[in-house]
Amino acid sequence: MTGMGLYNSLNIYLFVGLALLACGILGVIYRRTLVSMLISIELIMNGAGLNLVAFNRFIAPDKAYGMTFTLFIMGIAAAEAAIALAIIILIFRKYRHVEGAQLKEMKD
Amino acid sequence: MIFADIIFIIIILITLAGALMTVMYGSIIYALIGLVTTMFGIAGLYIYLNAPFLAMMQILIYVGAITVLIAFVIMVIGPLHKKPKEWTYPLKLIIAAIVALFSFFMFAKVVLKAKWTVLSTPFAVTTKDIGRLLFDRLTFPFELISLLIVVAIIGAVMLSLCSRGEK
Repeated sequence: MTGMGLYNSLNIYLFVGLALLACGILGVIYRRTLVSMLISIELIMNGAGLNLVAFNRFIAPDKAYGMTFTLFIMGIAAAEAAIALAIIILIFRKYRHVEGAQLKEMKD
Repeated sequence: MIFADIIFIIIILITLAGALMTVMYGSIIYALIGLVTTMFGIAGLYIYLNAPFLAMMQILIYVGAITVLIAFVIMVIGPLHKKPKEWTYPLKLIIAAIVALFSFFMFAKVVLKAKWTVLSTPFAVTTKDIGRLLFDRLTFPFELISLLIVVAIIGAVMLSLCSRGEK
């Protein structure tokens, strides 16, 4: 370990990211509306970004690749949220609800 | 040192409580507030990881942009707590908890088993290094991200225009 203190161990950050992943999976399966599923996917992406920065800090501390990848993840999350919310508004205008289990037809 | 540990544990507890609130609350707007709490907690963890630039980007992009976008959509689709129930039958909760706990313990076993070679060199990456890397070595992915965001904006505008044309 690179020093004293609880915040200087790698495993704690990995477990926080893992807890975020588990909460995201729980939300994607359990929640009913599409907006809640999108929020849960944001949780999963944040867990991945936290893992990348922790690995960059403890395993490869001389370059900044992990932080740059986390910036890329933020950009991709923003684009994904824009597209997904546009689709959700479209579904709401057509069917007047946003519940994922009732969207059974993909015709016309 | 002890003081920093106490703050660190509080930040971790805030992050986990926000994540659980995001998943468990019935109303979507409360889930969104839980997401904001989680984002602030993760920004605190980034500061502990010697990445203050990423912490500021986390607050600016997630709390400032994505959460506000989701809040606008919640305003458009109306108050969902007037619908019968956001929650479905409890069997679905049990199944989802089984899947989430299974994945959690499987990856926890991997994390505890793996031997990471933690280097003892001091961490000296600054914001200047991130910018230099972004415009020197990773220029092509950076441009691709900008192209992706432009395509996403045009796609969102086209989707809304198409739905208006259908009406």
